[in-house]
Amino acid sequence: MEGTLNLVGFGLAAIGPGIATGLIFAAYINGVARQPEARSVLQPIAFLGFALAEALALFGLVLAFVL
Amino acid sequence: MWTIFGYLLSGLIFWGGVGYAADRWLGTSYLTLIGLLVGMGGALYLVWLRFGRE
Amino acid sequence: MLALVRSGAEGEGFVPPSTKDFELPPIFGENPYTTKPIFLVFLSVILISVFFIAASRKAAIVPSKLQFAGESVYAFVRNDLAKDVIGHEFLRFVPYLFTLFTFILVNNLFGIIPLIQFPTMSHVGFAYVLAMFTFFVFHYVGVRKHGLYKYIKEIMFMPGVPKAAYILITPLEILTFFLVRPLTLSLRLFANMFAGHLLLLVFILGGEHLAQGAIGLKLVSPFAFGIGIVLTFFEFMVQCLQAYIFTLLTALYIAGALADEH
Repeated sequence: MEGTLNLVGFGLAAIGPGIATGLIFAAYINGVARQPEARSVLQPIAFLGFALAEALALFGLVLAFVL
Repeated sequence: MWTIFGYLLSGLIFWGGVGYAADRWLGTSYLTLIGLLVGMGGALYLVWLRFGRE
Repeated sequence: MLALVRSGAEGEGFVPPSTKDFELPPIFGENPYTTKPIFLVFLSVILISVFFIAASRKAAIVPSKLQFAGESVYAFVRNDLAKDVIGHEFLRFVPYLFTLFTFILVNNLFGIIPLIQFPTMSHVGFAYVLAMFTFFVFHYVGVRKHGLYKYIKEIMFMPGVPKAAYILITPLEILTFFLVRPLTLSLRLFANMFAGHLLLLVFILGGEHLAQGAIGLKLVSPFAFGIGIVLTFFEFMVQCLQAYIFTLLTALYIAGALADEH
């Protein structure tokens, strides 16, 4: 077995943002399904939440390479 | 959605790269982290500019 | 025939699939330009041309089955991809998007068609070239529409932002538009095809190896083959999805280059 423990750490760190992205889009889909005309209001908020969650995942990825 | 991903990635690459280069130049070790944080902040700001304000 | 199948399987015991399985030797002698992926690219072009020429030759008002199949693929690209994303100027880009979609789709599907079973796009060079085409197309479209100076200015300086923030943001915009976009476009396609092929190799070769083992292992090997078959269908989905995503992102980039103001 070769490799570094950083990658295991990144794998663990990616769990959180993965679940977070799922929750964000689940809520977004729920909202649009209940009230289709609210789509234009919900879309920026959903994408901002996605960006925040995804930033953490990418941060973990970069730190796995850098450290 | 992939646009957001691209912005975040390029933010981390660019400012993290700047921080890494500054680290190599000055012999310190904390500037990479600061660069990464700055890049992430900039990318999030950019995403907010593109998608958040209407 | 050895050149057409797996090359890394020599030696004792189970050799796990690795990147060596993607380095196929040349078919004709030592000429490095006659490997399997190259022939697959030509084969895909021939297949697509023959199919769509045959589908459109005897066009009738009541379509035959072949014509219906060809037209539904075309209508999918034209209406769902081009028209919805690009807007009223979409008709100019339908030929490019259509070529891209069918080319990537057929080359991806080679990964699961029996006796071929090698996705061309799992060699990163092909994906790079496709992403470069898209890169040139959307920048060319933007420059033609806005003029070079205004197009660059629109990329670099977003209106309504305090001046100090430009130091932070402008490098990111440039990097995103000129490096990260084509790179992620090609690497997404490549990585999906590469990982999918590797996954299938693991289960099929693992099942084969288990079948040659002790009696207990023989009992397990059908499960490995079964999972391999299930994953083949999963791969079919992934391959269609990747062709769709590549085309969709190309359309999105073109639409972004055409947009007037953000």
